[in-house]
Amino acid sequence: MTVPLIARNTFREATRDRVLAGVVIAGGVVILGTQLLHTLALGEGRRLTTDLGLTTISLFGLLIVLLVGTSLVAKEIERRTIFNLLVRPISRPAYLVGKWLGLSGALWVVAGSLGLVLWGVLALQGHGAMGPAVLEGAYLAGLELTVITALAVLFSALSTPVLSALYTLGFYAVGQWSWDLREFARQAPGALKSTLEVVANLVPNLPVFNMRALAASGEPTTVYHLVLATLYALVYCGCVLALASAAFESRDFK
Amino acid sequence: MHPTESHPDGRPFPGRPSAVTAREPAIRTVGLSKSYRHPWTGRVVPGVEDLNLEVERGEVMGCLGPNGAGKTTTLKLLTGLLKPTRGSAWLLGEPITRVESRRRLGFLPEQPYFYEYLSGIEYLEFVGQLSGLHAQDAHERARRWLGRVGLGQRPHLVLRKYSKGMLQRLGLGAALMHDPELLILDEPMSGLDPFGRRDVRDLILEQRGRGTTVLFSSHILPDVETLCDRVAIVMAGRLTRMATVGDIVSGSRQRVEIRCAGVPLLEITPALADVLERQDHSHETVFMLDDDTRLNEAIEWLLRRGARIRAVAPQRTSLEDLFLDAAGARGGSKVEAQSDDRRSA
Repeated sequence: MTVPLIARNTFREATRDRVLAGVVIAGGVVILGTQLLHTLALGEGRRLTTDLGLTTISLFGLLIVLLVGTSLVAKEIERRTIFNLLVRPISRPAYLVGKWLGLSGALWVVAGSLGLVLWGVLALQGHGAMGPAVLEGAYLAGLELTVITALAVLFSALSTPVLSALYTLGFYAVGQWSWDLREFARQAPGALKSTLEVVANLVPNLPVFNMRALAASGEPTTVYHLVLATLYALVYCGCVLALASAAFESRDFK
Repeated sequence: MHPTESHPDGRPFPGRPSAVTAREPAIRTVGLSKSYRHPWTGRVVPGVEDLNLEVERGEVMGCLGPNGAGKTTTLKLLTGLLKPTRGSAWLLGEPITRVESRRRLGFLPEQPYFYEYLSGIEYLEFVGQLSGLHAQDAHERARRWLGRVGLGQRPHLVLRKYSKGMLQRLGLGAALMHDPELLILDEPMSGLDPFGRRDVRDLILEQRGRGTTVLFSSHILPDVETLCDRVAIVMAGRLTRMATVGDIVSGSRQRVEIRCAGVPLLEITPALADVLERQDHSHETVFMLDDDTRLNEAIEWLLRRGARIRAVAPQRTSLEDLFLDAAGARGGSKVEAQSDDRRSA
């Protein structure tokens, strides 16, 4: 019962933060700006708009995670607002899960809003039928942001906002290359192979959520892939939050 | 097994409120200790050592001590914000390791901080629901408690616009709005003007009338005297004394101020030189007598020397002096040094 309450409050915190409104407006402007490139795209306008639009959703969502999510718990500890929550009958894991759910909810709203803007722009270009592809792309971007938010909560619970932003960004960057890393590990010798395999398994497998090229060409993502990506995101988030909870459980709040 | 999972007498703790007898003290600690390891030097600095404390149900207890003595550490250990290094503690019969131990607890931290983006009523509704109140009940109580702590005029004012005193009042409302059976307050008068302090005193007295157990820390002796049944004095992380306030104050030596006129050149007699100190002011001379048992002797001497006595006023020994006396460290820096160590840790 306490998890939804904390999630609701975190959602309220994120949506009342001017950063979120600013990022959504900037993202909307960028997507609208793709209209200008449409005429220069030599018949590839639909592809360009869809690809850039979905990338914008992903990157601007990441920006929100870095600006808001990485200080989500650390700021509460620094400002001591966490005292008022943890002295109530709330377990520390419930607190972390609530924070993650709340910010993830706000990011889903952002992904949905920017997805609607993108669909509107495509409709204006005469490609209204791209709706399902945009919806799938926005859904996968939402899943990706949910995974990154779980990592942000983990790092935020254990370190300062600046360090957790760096760690989160690092995991995001390496996660984007996890398939290449895995391929490289296959060809690497001995100890390096094991090390690379461990790293590739630890970082999130973000290419799973990147179906932008497919969406840009108007081809639908398979249901199988969507289910697989959803399950992967849930399992990865579960593991990260379990780790965060274990570390957070023994933490002192001076 | 975790140190706080068993009863101090060795019985396994049942862990259900229904199994807890009403005779269990509201607060019980057995050998509760907390130490910190310095991040750079690795040196272990004690915060609280071997605290054995019992607060009976319905009792109001003051936790007193100089800055850095371990008062806040003790309260944070009890509320679960700090994890004990050793020892056990129970709140209303529940081990503090269990979330349930905080269900009937109200806590006000020192200098409370709140979510600035919420309004007063939103905040109280939120924390009320976290303490197990239903949404409608939380809303009604939030309105009532905002009014009760003097913030009911503007319930939708966002907290970033609250003054320090208003935040302290809101914190008190948040601690009380779910009708806790146990109230732990860390410096509840801190940052309040005289009216605010009076209101907080009244609230604590009202809670005592309701049978709520109250444990609070303070530096302010008059507040402690008014409110407490007993006090626990914490010095350098250890519980050095448990007594009623009356016992502590009456056991201490009192100073007496004697204000006189007509004695501008009077030399203090050698017989009183060790306890009497003279302070000359523009319109009068003030003698400070360190030992009230020698008051008659001092007054007789002054009258014999032609002094016109205008006032005799007992001066309460300051709480800080009492602490230093209790620690046997008056004039020394041992206690301060230990306190500084703990603060820096």
